Amino acid sequence: MPRRYGPFGGAFVPETLVPALEELDDAWRRARRDPEFRSELRRLSRTYAGRPTPLYFARRLTRRAGGAEIWLKREDLLHGGAHKINNALGQGLLARRMGKRRLIAETGAGQHGVATAMVGAALGFETEVYMGERDIERQRPNVRRMELLGTHVVAVRTGSRTLKDAINAALRDWITNVRTTHYLLGSAVGPHPYPTLVRELQSVIGEEIRRQSLHAFGRLPSMAVACVGGGSNAIGTFHPLLSTPVELLGVEAAGPRGHPVGAASLTRGRPGILHGSYSYVLEDGEGQILDTASISAGLDYAGVGPEHAWLKTTGRVRYVAVHDGEALAAFRWLARDEGILPALEPAHALYAAMREARRRRPNERIVVTLSGRGDKDLEQVGGDRR
Amino acid sequence: MATVAEAFRAARDARRPIVMPYWLIDRARHRELPAVATALVRAGATAIELGLPFSDPIADGPVLEAAAGRAREHGTRFADLLDAARTVRSVLPVALLTYANPLWVRGLARSFRELRAAGVSAVIVADLSLEESRTWRRAADHQGLDLVLLAAPQRGTERIRRIARATRGFLYLVSRYGTTGASARGAEVDLRRLVRAARAAAATIPIAVGFGVRDAASSRRAIATGADGVIVGTILEEIAERHPHPAAAMGATLREIAVAADRALAERDGRRARPSRFRTR
Repeated sequence: MPRRYGPFGGAFVPETLVPALEELDDAWRRARRDPEFRSELRRLSRTYAGRPTPLYFARRLTRRAGGAEIWLKREDLLHGGAHKINNALGQGLLARRMGKRRLIAETGAGQHGVATAMVGAALGFETEVYMGERDIERQRPNVRRMELLGTHVVAVRTGSRTLKDAINAALRDWITNVRTTHYLLGSAVGPHPYPTLVRELQSVIGEEIRRQSLHAFGRLPSMAVACVGGGSNAIGTFHPLLSTPVELLGVEAAGPRGHPVGAASLTRGRPGILHGSYSYVLEDGEGQILDTASISAGLDYAGVGPEHAWLKTTGRVRYVAVHDGEALAAFRWLARDEGILPALEPAHALYAAMREARRRRPNERIVVTLSGRGDKDLEQVGGDRR
Repeated sequence: MATVAEAFRAARDARRPIVMPYWLIDRARHRELPAVATALVRAGATAIELGLPFSDPIADGPVLEAAAGRAREHGTRFADLLDAARTVRSVLPVALLTYANPLWVRGLARSFRELRAAGVSAVIVADLSLEESRTWRRAADHQGLDLVLLAAPQRGTERIRRIARATRGFLYLVSRYGTTGASARGAEVDLRRLVRAARAAAATIPIAVGFGVRDAASSRRAIATGADGVIVGTILEEIAERHPHPAAAMGATLREIAVAADRALAERDGRRARPSRFRTR
């Protein structure tokens, strides 16, 4: 597996973690070729997580946007309500093969934490999830879910008290307990081999999009759209389509209108080193990481996966940023038009997709990865009595 | 003033322990530094390790993380590090400990050039692994700086051999699984095996043990591994937080650690320890 994507990636970690990363790399190389591992993962993906997920034609939303057809890849229907289970199952099985007894994870919106908690319960691990205090406040339902699933949720009170700091805390735990513990990193970020490992486990999204598009409308869509925080659902969507003519659009969080950076590392950041990899980062001139802002806890992160940094550089994927208010509008439209409450994360992608649809002809098709459902966001969205 | 590497080798050749205290750069307490440096020299310091705060210090425990956060709130910048280095360079050889990004974003060539000019002679990057260090080593070599690599507890010895051959100036041996200042838990790691392997690979490179050295007992244990000395961080930061003028208290604690290290070294060598008020220079 590649250590680098162009100049991006690598493994900038304290020396204590290097042997564990090598062990993980080695274990994954073996597992991905092992028919037994693959069939076990396939079986659980189908019978536990609920794969494959449908590709749904959003007829009324298409009419609202006016233009190209909008199709939704329904990752929100997976067990736990998000694409995160794809990665958690794979890494959980891998951790068991490596003889680890304990899983730790970071979480922003709580979706990855919930996925880890479910896998921890189903595969019999002791599980601990680090979550920023601010995220705990704004994603309460997921905290409760994790606790009911037998996971210990640790509140992180340092720094910006969001995802970035949860990753710091998880890394510190791993440095201390590396011999017994697997760090189940939830996004395509971090040191090698995580970005590649997570991408391979999430690529099932793009592979299904390919197959289902051919089945549903006889060809590939003209565009695929996904939201990008760390970038795991996006890289899973994009990677199997890289060698096709499908246009690819990644959508970051611009935060509240007027915020200087939001959480848009690719569109407003610069190359830098954060959490073990060289990628795009929101940082000041002294190399200190900036505090981010987004209504969506899952996108509220100052870094991004290194493969996205490379895809931006090569121009293969276009990246744009969408404001809080725009994402909220898309959230309401999807709820009213289609009876689907999306998570605030993919609501960003949805808004950008609708904007694109308007510029395109009705015979074109845009697939949006609906990476999670919105039940967790009801408090953020507020009441809607109209 | 000698470089860190020269001072370390001189200490080792004279059968004195290497003792390197840590001082996190914080604009708000910059005025204390001259007195602190003097006290540390008197207590037996071989060199001083200055810390440049970083927003996401993943190798640090709660004490140093909180200290870095405060330092950043006080507006501490790279220029303050250079000021500090210029302040202490006439008293002690100066090393820098920081994370990769502040140096990378500034540009390696520029960072290293400015550091060298300010009197820093060794650079330690907490999140730079051997695999990523090649460009950094070349840039540091080019500016006449020693890029010090860290080694950590591990099962085999192949990796520490490679690190011992690649490091410059000295080898920074992390004493345990954990972050800085972490309290010892679980089985203690057998570092003797790692020290022997490092010596076999690079016979002349000084070896200093850090992470968890905070008193006489931990200092003795560090020297008993066969290492040449100790690096002391968190306990000194704890003192600096408690005292508005921490020089004397920091010096007293470092002296205990230095004396214990000297005794342990003497015991290892089979000779008598120096009188407890020994001076290193």
